[in-house]
Amino acid sequence: MASVTYKNVYKRFGDVIAVNNLDIRVDDKEFLVLVGPSGCGKTTALRCLAGLEDISEGEILIGDRVVNDVAPKDRDIAMVFQSYALYPHLSVYDNMAFGLKLRKLPKEEIKRRVNEAADILGIRDLLDRKPRQLSGGQRQRVAVGRAIVREPKVFLFDEPLSNLDAKLRVAMRAEISKLHQRLQTTFIYVTHDQIEAMTMATRIAVINKGILQQLDTPQNLYDRPNNLFVAGFIGSPAMNFFPGKLRKDGTKLLVDTGDFSVTIPPKHAKSYESHAGKDVIFGIRPENIHDADFIPPNIDAEKVNVKVDVTELMGNEIFLYLVSGKNTFVSRVDPRSKLRVGQNAQVAFDMDTFHIFDAVTEKAIR
Amino acid sequence: MNSTTSKPLSPVTKALRWFFVRSRGDSPFKTILIHATLIVASIIAVYPVLRVVTISLRPNDTLLTTSLRIIPENATLDNYKEVLFGAPEKNRKSDFFLWIWNSFSIVSVTSIISMILAAVSAYAFSRFKFPGRAVGLVFLLTTQMIPAGMLLLPLFIMLAQLQMINTALGLIIAYSVSTVPLTIWTLKGYYDTIPVDLEEAALIDGANRFTVFTRIILPLSTPALAIAFLFSFMGGWSEYLVARVVLQKNDIYTWPLGIFTYAQQFTVAWGQFSAASVLIAIPVMILFLYSSKWLISGLTLGSVKG
Amino acid sequence: MEDKSKLRRLLPYLYWIVGLLSGYFLLNALISPFAWGITLNLGIVLKRLGEIGGFLFAILTGLALVEIYFYQIFFRQPSNPRSRTTIRGLQYLLGGMTVLAILSFFEKTDLFRLGDNVMAGIVHLPLNAFGGVRSALTGIGLAKGAAGAVSGIVFTLVLVGIFYAVHKMSVPRVSKLGLPYLLILPAFVGVLFLIIYPFMFEIKLAFSNASLGTQATKNAEYGLIYGWQNLVTLFTGTVAKDAKFFDVFFRTVLWTVINVTFHVGGGMGLALLLHRPMKLQGFYRTLLVFPWAIPTTIAAMALRNEFDSRYGLFNILLTDLNSWLVSVSQGTVNVPLLGDAFNWLASNIGPVSWKQDPFWAFVSILISNIWLGIPFMSVIILGGLQSISQEYYEAAEIDGASKFQMFRNITLPLLRPVLTPAIILGVVWTFNKFDVIYLITQGGPQEKTDILVSSMYKAAFQFYRYGFTAMFALVIFVILLIFTLIYLRASGGLKSATE
Repeated sequence: MASVTYKNVYKRFGDVIAVNNLDIRVDDKEFLVLVGPSGCGKTTALRCLAGLEDISEGEILIGDRVVNDVAPKDRDIAMVFQSYALYPHLSVYDNMAFGLKLRKLPKEEIKRRVNEAADILGIRDLLDRKPRQLSGGQRQRVAVGRAIVREPKVFLFDEPLSNLDAKLRVAMRAEISKLHQRLQTTFIYVTHDQIEAMTMATRIAVINKGILQQLDTPQNLYDRPNNLFVAGFIGSPAMNFFPGKLRKDGTKLLVDTGDFSVTIPPKHAKSYESHAGKDVIFGIRPENIHDADFIPPNIDAEKVNVKVDVTELMGNEIFLYLVSGKNTFVSRVDPRSKLRVGQNAQVAFDMDTFHIFDAVTEKAIR
Repeated sequence: MNSTTSKPLSPVTKALRWFFVRSRGDSPFKTILIHATLIVASIIAVYPVLRVVTISLRPNDTLLTTSLRIIPENATLDNYKEVLFGAPEKNRKSDFFLWIWNSFSIVSVTSIISMILAAVSAYAFSRFKFPGRAVGLVFLLTTQMIPAGMLLLPLFIMLAQLQMINTALGLIIAYSVSTVPLTIWTLKGYYDTIPVDLEEAALIDGANRFTVFTRIILPLSTPALAIAFLFSFMGGWSEYLVARVVLQKNDIYTWPLGIFTYAQQFTVAWGQFSAASVLIAIPVMILFLYSSKWLISGLTLGSVKG
Repeated sequence: MEDKSKLRRLLPYLYWIVGLLSGYFLLNALISPFAWGITLNLGIVLKRLGEIGGFLFAILTGLALVEIYFYQIFFRQPSNPRSRTTIRGLQYLLGGMTVLAILSFFEKTDLFRLGDNVMAGIVHLPLNAFGGVRSALTGIGLAKGAAGAVSGIVFTLVLVGIFYAVHKMSVPRVSKLGLPYLLILPAFVGVLFLIIYPFMFEIKLAFSNASLGTQATKNAEYGLIYGWQNLVTLFTGTVAKDAKFFDVFFRTVLWTVINVTFHVGGGMGLALLLHRPMKLQGFYRTLLVFPWAIPTTIAAMALRNEFDSRYGLFNILLTDLNSWLVSVSQGTVNVPLLGDAFNWLASNIGPVSWKQDPFWAFVSILISNIWLGIPFMSVIILGGLQSISQEYYEAAEIDGASKFQMFRNITLPLLRPVLTPAIILGVVWTFNKFDVIYLITQGGPQEKTDILVSSMYKAAFQFYRYGFTAMFALVIFVILLIFTLIYLRASGGLKSATE
């Protein structure tokens, strides 16, 4: 049980900076997810923590100990690999017992721990098999089991679910969350899948191009993204962005996209007034764009004329791909909506939940 | 296609069509042609080998014959007996087992030494980046271009000065010249196919580099080690030219040298040469045919992987 | 409980011992009636085992000592400034001694010569010291081998003592590069003695007049002038006894081109035939690799006998063909044209003097080597064919490609990664491969079937022209190197090789 700290960590491969001034403190028993597009440096950051890569600058601490020069085996961590990395020549039992045998634990203790982990993961009857005789999901469990038996201070997961099919991924997601509650240990989990991040994490670190974009709880990330990247990365379908200008029209403050303009309600306008006249990017999530016929009560709705380009019927909701001038965007509307492809219609922007970003710095304006 | 629907076909045309034309797969005509070609090719491949068996079975007085029969008249095993156990009535002893033992001991030790040297260094070449790595690999590649006989002369003089001519050790050293680089290259090719993840997992599990090597890499590469062993073994087993230079005394001869002593006086010993050949070739060929699949995979792993 | 498991653990070893012993006695009993004629006996076997065991032990001990030495350099650092001087001193001393020992080995094998000056005294110091211990031991009545072993052990113990002292005076340190260097060290030592050293020696020999007359290197003289002479002789004089360089060179090119063409062509043909679902496929495949499976020495010598002018297979067949043609031509003597044709055939096709006629001798080695080489190529190509996904062909079929178009546009390009290196290696191997030539024609008649490497071999070991051979070898090496470089440049293979 330990905290993990990245202190101004840099990792360079030649001229490429894979991890750029990473500064994170992960508390004990936390479930931190590092998320970002592929090649953003999140896996490198994890591997630096594991000791599989040396860091170029900065410090990494596990608990209170600086581990920069500590060999992986002495860091008291366990890691689940994307490829599972099960030893093909060893049985499931021996795979799980490998680390314990190397640490010279008594035989009975090894047996107890392996069996216990096998029970937790429901792989008791697979212990004699070789990895190649297992299905993807079973291999995944063995890989997790191999980490559990070690009873490490920190668990590391490197995209462990990306090789599973969609259904299994959802199931394993829940199981890993359960495992975290049960083991009460620090988990650090790398994924490119923001849904995985949102569903499992206690906190999420969004990384892009080696730089930490935002570190926050899932809900805060969703509701209050720091910048354009985070806003676009978290949430599916992604947030809609409209480049435009913040304009003052008498007392009203409005965002003019060129094709349409929306008025910012007076109760929100205060924080934006000083930015009037600036180029901004207006962001709104699909679920905050409603069919004009089904506007929820008590919201500040701004109506916009659109043309329906594509519809995706999901049963419990409908995704509309809409066009307004040069802007195309998505809305998630009430399933009762009658809007169909090719129709000209009106949709309503919920002006209580929107985001405005500086077009130059891409930072959120609040 | 149109003609088939337009008018009915006569039975002969139908049969011919069946024989020559198929929209899927091969027509019977083509099948027959292919089999015929393959049978001819097989005969060409096998017949010279069978001839050796034939000659080995001939009695000594009809050795020289223009007969092409596969099993000769009055077939006898006398040649085999003499090759294996000598001929007391002619007061002639047999060195056959001695030759086999010489070959076996020399070649297997060569292979073992190459494996020991190669197993660890190939790992370094496969997994680590270090100054000199590229130079080393190009060097290894170049050694495969060196003619086998090229370094023979300096080696021969060196061995002569160390008084190692006519010793097993001398030939072991001479053979290692070509097997060591080849084995390194083959094993490096195989190590490259083992996922690095496995080693990293082991490192995190508590292994150091050495335990990773002994407990993960070596067990996983047993097939490659076997291939490499087989490679250098097969390479040395029937080698003639180097052995002829290094070994000049009858009692240290390897079997290719020994068997050549029969061939030199060929009118006399053609039968014995053939008998000895059969005795040696059969186990080798069985082993070879059995292992050829792995040998090929080894080749594609190592040398042919340009 | 504990005893039982111990017994059980020992049981396999017991089985082995019992099995080996009974095997030995059984073999003995079986062979004893014939024992008179068998020259191999237990004494010889044991002597060889001892010899080899000692050799392996010496090599491994030597390697272990070198490894420990470098381990300490990479992974230990002095614990304090005072021990630093001691440790570095010891390490420089050991390193210097080793270098001197290697140099003195080179000197003793005539790579360079120092004569009897002070320098030589210093260089030979370590090896002489070792020899001194050994002769002292033989002086007190030990056998020579035992004395060597004992002095080796003494020497090893001293070294181990030094290593222990260094270990005590030092603390561990982190080294990133230490491990790979320690790993390649054994192979490096091997390559140093097996390849680099002989290669340097070869260069030196190339600039000498070493021959039988100079008792190899003993009385040989060295100088650029000898190198120049060797080079001039190579290109203007004879390369072995009779043959001229360029004749042999063009024959080598011809040999290589014909062989590789037939290997690839024949291999491709067989592979295409075998690469289709059909009955007896495994059977054919087994039969077709026979020439590859049979040891080359045996195959070559067996074929040599088949090229015998009277009793060899080829002339028997040709004689039969001739007599058949003769009988046909007699039958058709009155038919115009056809009769003449058969008459011509009958007088031109017949047994051939494979040994005396240079042309037919060359054909005989070509036939043999082609026969030997096709299976390997076909197996390689077959492997390549099997790795091509069937989907490409299905797609091409839907696109309306003919069989030939498929071969031209799918099979060949997709086979390239397998085919190119196989051809390149085939060229290099064939260029260098002369065991078949040597065993079948021995280059005869009048060296008319020699290729470069076989001429070189003969120059060295039949005519003892050592200095000349070394230069010859270097020239061959340069030719191959140029070829390889061209290939590597063309294919960009160097990068992928070192990747």
